Amino acid sequence: MDQARRNRLEAGGVQVDAALERLMGSEALLERLLRKFAADGNFQKLEQALDSRDQEGAVAASHTLKGMCGNLSMEPLYGLFTRQVEALRAGDWGGALALQEDICPAYRQVLAAIGEG
Amino acid sequence: MSQQNTILIVDDDEINRAILEEIFSPDYAIAQAADGREGLAAIRAGEDSLCAVLLDVVMPELSGIQVLRELKESGLTARLPVFLITAEASDSVMREAYQLGVMDVISKPVLPFVVQRRVESVIELFQARRRLGEKVESQQADLLRQAQRIIRLSQGMVEALSTAIEFRSEESGGHVQRIRRITQHLLERTPLGEGLSQEEIDQIALASIMHDVGKIAVPDAILNKPGKLTPEEFEVMKTHTTQGAKLLDQIPQFREDSLYPYARDIALHHHERWDGRGYPEGLVGDEISIWAQIVSLADVYDALSCKRVYKDAFSREKVLEMICGGQCGTFNPRLLECFLAEEPALARLYQREE
Repeated sequence: MDQARRNRLEAGGVQVDAALERLMGSEALLERLLRKFAADGNFQKLEQALDSRDQEGAVAASHTLKGMCGNLSMEPLYGLFTRQVEALRAGDWGGALALQEDICPAYRQVLAAIGEG
Repeated sequence: MSQQNTILIVDDDEINRAILEEIFSPDYAIAQAADGREGLAAIRAGEDSLCAVLLDVVMPELSGIQVLRELKESGLTARLPVFLITAEASDSVMREAYQLGVMDVISKPVLPFVVQRRVESVIELFQARRRLGEKVESQQADLLRQAQRIIRLSQGMVEALSTAIEFRSEESGGHVQRIRRITQHLLERTPLGEGLSQEEIDQIALASIMHDVGKIAVPDAILNKPGKLTPEEFEVMKTHTTQGAKLLDQIPQFREDSLYPYARDIALHHHERWDGRGYPEGLVGDEISIWAQIVSLADVYDALSCKRVYKDAFSREKVLEMICGGQCGTFNPRLLECFLAEEPALARLYQREE
């Protein structure tokens, strides 16, 4: 992984060193998992569930995204999803939707950084 | 060496599985399952190859907690370490998980050096415990084999001693073995053995072969005298009962053996008579133990049926006539009844020898 790539991912919200440590230093695995994250359908599922006020679906999708972001050390997104899962479980739709306002740009930013590979 | 070298990762999230696989694949074989139901099936199918299970909690189909409940139910958590890897390590989840027998709860996102150390320590613990268990089992088997060898050896010593004494009386060595078989037969096949366990019967039968050990203290001239003994000689001959008991008393190891009370009683009392006219103590009736009575009758039956230094063998009819007619002592009527019922079978011991 060259320095430019590393910098872009860092700027996009991925703490590369922490993610690599979790992956036993395997850059190949990190790239593979980042692409998997980018191709994952849970973000769309989350938006649909929030639109249709499907609490169970929203919790499942947000929980999965939280796990992925945690594993890939996407700290800002991980924090946001963690709070959103809590809000959804508590039935706090207002809170969950407000968090989604912050989540969307952060998510797009990470995706863009990954896509610039 | 243990064959259990596979870690099963049960998680619906592929990234989680990939991370855990990356951590453990250098040292272990890895199996994966994408939900609880699949995981449970993989655990049951792979019980002999798995060394640990890493279990997510929130999963479709069956949750990690439900999987744990099933494992606990079948007792598997005692043999196979299960780790809960969870982002929801709340107090209630942890409490239930530990109650269900998980070895550890590790929170996600995982830190590789933490999960690695915690999982490997427990795998090593289970493997060491299993190795120790196998070792103890094999040592127990060794001990049992040794104990059986010692039992065989001491039985062999008893038989050697008894046979040696019998050889001194210029007999073939078959006498003590026939006494043993007659005693065993009557105790096993007739009401005489009621209340005795098979083990006790085996002990009594083995003890019976020592009934004449006291003859080692009787001089050759008396023991092997072809003619009738003088009253003085007979008095010496009679001491083989008390000498036998004394001899057995003087072997300290033997006194602790469960064989000892039977052997001593039989050696001392196998010449007592139901009417009280026997020796050495003149016991009457049921004062004489049933095994001493049996050996007494077996001894007479065998002596009459075989050629001895002082007499020829009698015919079977003559033997029975002499025993029932009271020419060779008086016996417990119940004993005689049981003996006569089984005598046709006992007679075969002698036919075979001819």
